[in-house]
Amino acid sequence: MVLLCVLGVFFSFTGALGILRMPDLYTRIQCSTKTITAGAIPLLCAVALAKGFDTAYAARALIVAVLLFLVNPIAAHALVRAAYKSGIPMWDGSVKDEPGQRSTR
Amino acid sequence: MTALLVGVCIAQLCVVGLLLIRLARGPSVADRIVALNTISTECATIVLFFAAFADRTVYLDVAIWLASFSYLGALVWARYTERGLL
Repeated sequence: MVLLCVLGVFFSFTGALGILRMPDLYTRIQCSTKTITAGAIPLLCAVALAKGFDTAYAARALIVAVLLFLVNPIAAHALVRAAYKSGIPMWDGSVKDEPGQRSTR
Repeated sequence: MTALLVGVCIAQLCVVGLLLIRLARGPSVADRIVALNTISTECATIVLFFAAFADRTVYLDVAIWLASFSYLGALVWARYTERGLL
């Protein structure tokens, strides 16, 4: 349980650090959607373990885990698509821009 | 065990503090939306840990609400910038 908590807090902290330090909107979204979800799920499992699996806490924690797992990628996908279409620039060091190359306009 | 729950609460609040810096500084609106979305995810876990610490079952529904409806803000913003209508 302590291990799960440490893992979750570590992932959340690195995700927040990534959102703070990354140079670009798209890399920040990557941190937000992957690392934060990977940090939240061990924490929710830790709540379920701490309170016992047959309590309301465990049921709610697992529901929240499933919801986050479903909802975070959807939100990130919609956000990054809208940001790309509205022309927010990429970082200068990024190496590939496939949709931009494909359009002939 | 209560010390562990409170410790995780406080650590997550520090993470939210880091995200608030990005929310204040973000060069574009999209950066702020990303930070806000992440803050609501973190808040769901914070509320769950606080419910487990305080032994109040009522707070659990707040966490479910946060987890299930927090993405709507990002989705509405995305739709608005993409199509210009809501």
